[in-house]
Amino acid sequence: MKILIIEDEKELVKTIKDYLEQEGLLCETAYSWFEAEDALSVFKYDIIILDLTLPGGDGLDLIKLIKNGNQQAGLLIVSARDSLDDKIIGLDMGADDYLTKPFHLAELNSRIKSLLRRRHFEGSSEIIFNEIRINTDSNEVFINGNIIDLTKKEFEILLYFITNKNRVITREAIAEHVWGNSISGADNYDFIYSHIKNIRRKIEFSSGRDYLHNIYGIGYKFSEK
Amino acid sequence: MKLLQKTNRAYFLISGLAFLIAGVIIYFVISFFFKDQLNEKLKSDIGDVELSIERNGTIPDYYPFIEAHEVQDQPERSYETVDTLIFDETEKENIPFREISVVTSVNGKRYYIAARDALFEQGDLLTTIAIVIGSVFMLLLLSLYFINRKLSLKIWQPFYRTLDELKDFSHDKPDFKLTPVSEPYEFTELTKTLEKLTNKVISDYQSLKRFTEDSSHEIQTPLAVIQSKLETLLQYPDLKRDQAEMITSIYIYSQRISRLIQTLLLLTRIANDQFPEKRAVNFSELIEEKLQLFEDNILGKSLTIKKSIEPECVLETNFFLAESMVINLIENAVKHSNAEGSVNITLEKNHFEISNSGTPVQVPSSKLFERFYKVNKSSDSQGLGLAIVKEICTLNNWGIVYEYKEGLHKFIIRF
Repeated sequence: MKILIIEDEKELVKTIKDYLEQEGLLCETAYSWFEAEDALSVFKYDIIILDLTLPGGDGLDLIKLIKNGNQQAGLLIVSARDSLDDKIIGLDMGADDYLTKPFHLAELNSRIKSLLRRRHFEGSSEIIFNEIRINTDSNEVFINGNIIDLTKKEFEILLYFITNKNRVITREAIAEHVWGNSISGADNYDFIYSHIKNIRRKIEFSSGRDYLHNIYGIGYKFSEK
Repeated sequence: MKLLQKTNRAYFLISGLAFLIAGVIIYFVISFFFKDQLNEKLKSDIGDVELSIERNGTIPDYYPFIEAHEVQDQPERSYETVDTLIFDETEKENIPFREISVVTSVNGKRYYIAARDALFEQGDLLTTIAIVIGSVFMLLLLSLYFINRKLSLKIWQPFYRTLDELKDFSHDKPDFKLTPVSEPYEFTELTKTLEKLTNKVISDYQSLKRFTEDSSHEIQTPLAVIQSKLETLLQYPDLKRDQAEMITSIYIYSQRISRLIQTLLLLTRIANDQFPEKRAVNFSELIEEKLQLFEDNILGKSLTIKKSIEPECVLETNFFLAESMVINLIENAVKHSNAEGSVNITLEKNHFEISNSGTPVQVPSSKLFERFYKVNKSSDSQGLGLAIVKEICTLNNWGIVYEYKEGLHKFIIRF
């Protein structure tokens, strides 16, 4: 999987790149409009992460370039210009998703994975982690082959954890993933706790192992140990 | 009233008055000159009679125009002028005459001599003047009317075109242009000034828009770097617990700044009317959908939700703002209702009401909508939710009121 990160803030690019490379994704970077243009004309990418505010030109023009060229890439816009115009124009022009800065790395990762799944780059809409199997088309979860009944939010949380496995996920990131940007997270910590309690209970009921670890005061980590 | 109607009316009134005054003056001047002339003529007639008596000794008598006879008992006297009525045989009516008489000596004898002539009848004179003035007045009005029509069609035409073009003006149309006017000078200047003004409005609006977007970018990008670094830092396996807690706390506070900036910029953008795109928004669906977001909070507080939502309440407005308003109102109601209390939502075609149970607040209702106003000072909410709701209502010309009645905090919006 090859990803092009078009973003002029080098420090941000570095963290994104590190995070995604740990996920086994190959990342290339472009720090300006022209570098992006060069990269796009030579290579093909699976996912392009595009910041709209770039030195050398308007990010929206790059969308045209990507869509008119022979790129088949999934396009994710990352912008601090949360002006709705840009969001609508961007999506109208063919961007697949839009993320507003600042964002949680876990959220970015989850969006990219979802984009890859939607484009069937991974060949299947199934995610398997040991005895857990998630079908992202039908939104069903199987433990040892037995379907377990999760609510919509529980499903979203579990999928978010598995997508970001082996990482510490903050409660803020979970709250924003489930409730969106419009509601402040702090009120929802208790609900996250009770949703996670339910997920644990349901997985254990189907004799699945408990991979969810509390990281006190920070959040949770989904991992084997 | 249109400009032309107004000027026409003024023209008519003033010229009517002027003509009336002119008529009166003409009447007096004419009758003065006429009488003066008549007096001269009559005096010369008397002179003729005197001459005739002196030369020929004959006393002419053309009643009623000339009357002369010898007198003994009257003393000599100078001219005496009187107006009398004399019955006219042919016209069978009394006709006003001017008479000048004199008693004078000719060849040693005293004579009474009177000369008379018909006076113009005043009524006749008035009628004549009225007809003349009236017809001149009508002629003037008629020509004024046609001149104005032509003016309105031709000279005022660029003015009306500019006016029509201006009606289409909106600050978010960067390519707005007025058609230049070459004549008359006043309209050329007016159009030029208007063009300058509209360009200024557009460029101010654009730079304000760019400023809010740029400041958003300039602040949020560093925050994005900080947050991503903190998130990475949290991944270190041998992090001590107090270190992790510190990082989390920095993380939470940087998120708070980011949210605050976002909300403040949102408020600024609402105030600047930077949400021009409107579409039909189904409030019935929107409210149901957003209520879902608070499912957990409602369950957690064991709140009773009473809904009376009329289906298909559709309003033409900006979707993003409508969404923001609904979320803020529901969040406010859910957050401030007491545990096991109730939240009531009523939606009708032009009326939206949301209320929650709770103890009364000791603040004037206007304060509730102020920025950063918090009833509970220690709460970590921004205190901007209701300010946003208020701004959105103002932008859309919706009325919003708060009241506390029967243990309920009520927010009522009239669309």
